[in-house]
Amino acid sequence: MFKMSEYSFIAGVISVGLALGCYVIAFVAARVMRQRTALAGVGTGGGTIGVDRRGGVNLGAYGTLLVYLALAFLTASLVFRTIATGHGPFANMYEFSIAFAWGTLAMYAYFERRYHERALGLVALPIALALLLYAMTIPATIDPLVPALQNNLLLSVHVAVAVVAYGTFSVAFAAAILYLVRGEDGRRGLPSRELLDEISYKAVVIGFPFLTLTIVLGAVWAEVAWGTYWSWDPKETASLVTWLIYGSYLHARVVRGWRGERAASLLLLGFAATLFTYFGNLFFGGLHSYSGLNNQ
Amino acid sequence: MTQTVRTQAIPRADRGPTDDLDAGRTVSPADIRERLWHFFISMRTGLALMLGLAVLGLIGTLLVQAPEGLKSDPQAYPAWLESLRPRYGGWTGVLDALGLFSIFSSIWFRGIVMLLTTSVLACSVNRAPHLWKQAVHPRTNMSETFFAHAPLSASIAAPTHPDAALAEIQAAFRARHFRTIVKGDGDTIHLYADRFRWGPFGTVIAHLSLIFILAGALIGTAWGFRNTGLAVPVGSRVDVGYGTGLSIEAKSFTDSYYPNGSPSDFTSDLVLYRDGAQIDAATIRVNQPLRAGDVTVYQSFYGAAAAMKVADPTGTVVFERGVPLEWTSSDGKHRVGQIILPDVGLTAYVIGAASGEVDPQIKPGQMGIEVYTSGSEGSPIATGVISQGQPAKIAGLDFTFVRERQFTGLIVARDPGAVFVWIGASLLVFGISLVFFFPSRRAWALIRRRPGGSSIQVGAVVRHDVSFEADFKRLVDELKLALTGPSAI
Repeated sequence: MFKMSEYSFIAGVISVGLALGCYVIAFVAARVMRQRTALAGVGTGGGTIGVDRRGGVNLGAYGTLLVYLALAFLTASLVFRTIATGHGPFANMYEFSIAFAWGTLAMYAYFERRYHERALGLVALPIALALLLYAMTIPATIDPLVPALQNNLLLSVHVAVAVVAYGTFSVAFAAAILYLVRGEDGRRGLPSRELLDEISYKAVVIGFPFLTLTIVLGAVWAEVAWGTYWSWDPKETASLVTWLIYGSYLHARVVRGWRGERAASLLLLGFAATLFTYFGNLFFGGLHSYSGLNNQ
Repeated sequence: MTQTVRTQAIPRADRGPTDDLDAGRTVSPADIRERLWHFFISMRTGLALMLGLAVLGLIGTLLVQAPEGLKSDPQAYPAWLESLRPRYGGWTGVLDALGLFSIFSSIWFRGIVMLLTTSVLACSVNRAPHLWKQAVHPRTNMSETFFAHAPLSASIAAPTHPDAALAEIQAAFRARHFRTIVKGDGDTIHLYADRFRWGPFGTVIAHLSLIFILAGALIGTAWGFRNTGLAVPVGSRVDVGYGTGLSIEAKSFTDSYYPNGSPSDFTSDLVLYRDGAQIDAATIRVNQPLRAGDVTVYQSFYGAAAAMKVADPTGTVVFERGVPLEWTSSDGKHRVGQIILPDVGLTAYVIGAASGEVDPQIKPGQMGIEVYTSGSEGSPIATGVISQGQPAKIAGLDFTFVRERQFTGLIVARDPGAVFVWIGASLLVFGISLVFFFPSRRAWALIRRRPGGSSIQVGAVVRHDVSFEADFKRLVDELKLALTGPSAI
């Protein structure tokens, strides 16, 4: 099972890499083609990635297929890992990095299906790939659970819910980056600002309740294991900071003067806070020090 | 959260040609109230406070925070600050003066939480009546102008009677699980349709739940207690205190390890007494506390203890139980426990070598004893080293080191506020889910009799709701198909 998990993981990494390659090539090709047609004096509307009007290979669509394939491989990897360890695949940085990448891919796939904007993948896939490459640097050995983590139900639910939240925040971040890169008048080939704004918002609308639930479940667990529902543990506090930033974003969008670029900047800040919360246990110690990287 | 709340410009009492300072304006109490109200219901205020709180939280994760209760310790706190000096240098004093080492009890944090709470309350009070009206008595009649300006709208000229058109429109909305309200007569019919009209109350629930959580935290601080360091030697019974009448006896403590050396389990067999009578017995471990009424006992830490016996010159035993060696000396080489002997007014310290440390004075199987007059500082009145099982006279008392034992370290807590926190947390998740997963949707239609049929206008106000936009377009297409036939599309 352990070996199966490893193989699926590697296959997943390769699929994400190939998918990203497809997207980048499709995006660049679409731009080049648009420039050519523009030179030829023929105006075109803002095409999306993978819409190859001259027939031939639709690289974008292959990219999407590869995303699904990657999701399938990573799902298999996590399932095999769960069978091998006997607990949810969320107990150390190796497992959680794969889960985070999985969440990012799953949420990206969901939003791509819904909005048909593969441009999001240009940012979302590198995030997933970076997480997976990071996981590759961590030894995959299975260490038994320390007493504080021996709560299978809460371990699985608390972290699974966090994975969904983090995944949606990756998508919101991707849309916000495109929003800011695109600028007011717009770069060709990127979705409209209204659409990007809406994708960000919809992603946070899913992510925020899940982040809230993550924190609440964390409080429930803290009460059982550490004797209090809240102890200002650095990771707790960081998650609260993340929650406050996304909460601010949800409010900011309906305040004049905060819409648009400022709201998008809040999403960058929010994702920075998400990553800070996520990687935090590596440097700020505290009760959440389960990274599995400092076991002597 | 999904509605625009705009702060209104506050009317100035007067605006003369001079600047504001020497205008000599009088500000009436009503004016101040008005300004305060607008300050607190302003979304900008809320935003600034939330981001301010986030900044404090960030500082709290980046700066080392003083352990619970340390700040009130006049000796330990300066020592702790001193230990930070290598890290923060000359800033240590500044950071401490600003309260940043205990930021979550600092005036900044409390102030922002108070302001935010006020803002949340004010916003809820401000919004709730409006939401109630929208849900219970929605505006059903919309004018021509509304349909002309609505973000989503469509006009259909149908060769059907208004009543037939109404039936068709109602059916289309009902198929989408909308509630419909119809006003008007045969010539002019107003239709109002909504779905998830209670969704927006999620914002009120979510905001008020935060106050619930805060109230729970305050109640817990005011009327609860939390002892994070109750050390109970195996074989001994220790009072919980805090007026609970409880005492805890540790029958055994077991620490187990995996082959790789990392801990696998910590368990304590405990017996709980109230006023001397046994009320409960259980094995606790991390993740499996003992709940007895409103008091909860958690496994937290462990360490070495010394079973000690002390007798006075008449041979009467004045002390006989385990002494947890729960402190570590400042050089880290010794573990220290305390025996308080109120009958003779003395306090004795039991000193053993820390694990892995070799002390030529205190060998394995020995304990150092220092006896002080209770309440006085300075040098001990007597000291000695005793070997296991061999009584020795120190300060006129017979000290016996019976044997080495372990102690189990427990957290004992009572939190009467926790129930409010859990209710608040549930309401928070419920409220937020209600707003975001059940978005309220509203649409209007105006049907008027025209020669040879009816004119129909459909409109909806929508913001950031692409699925509703698509659904609205589908609905309009369906209506066109049903009312005018395929050729009209």
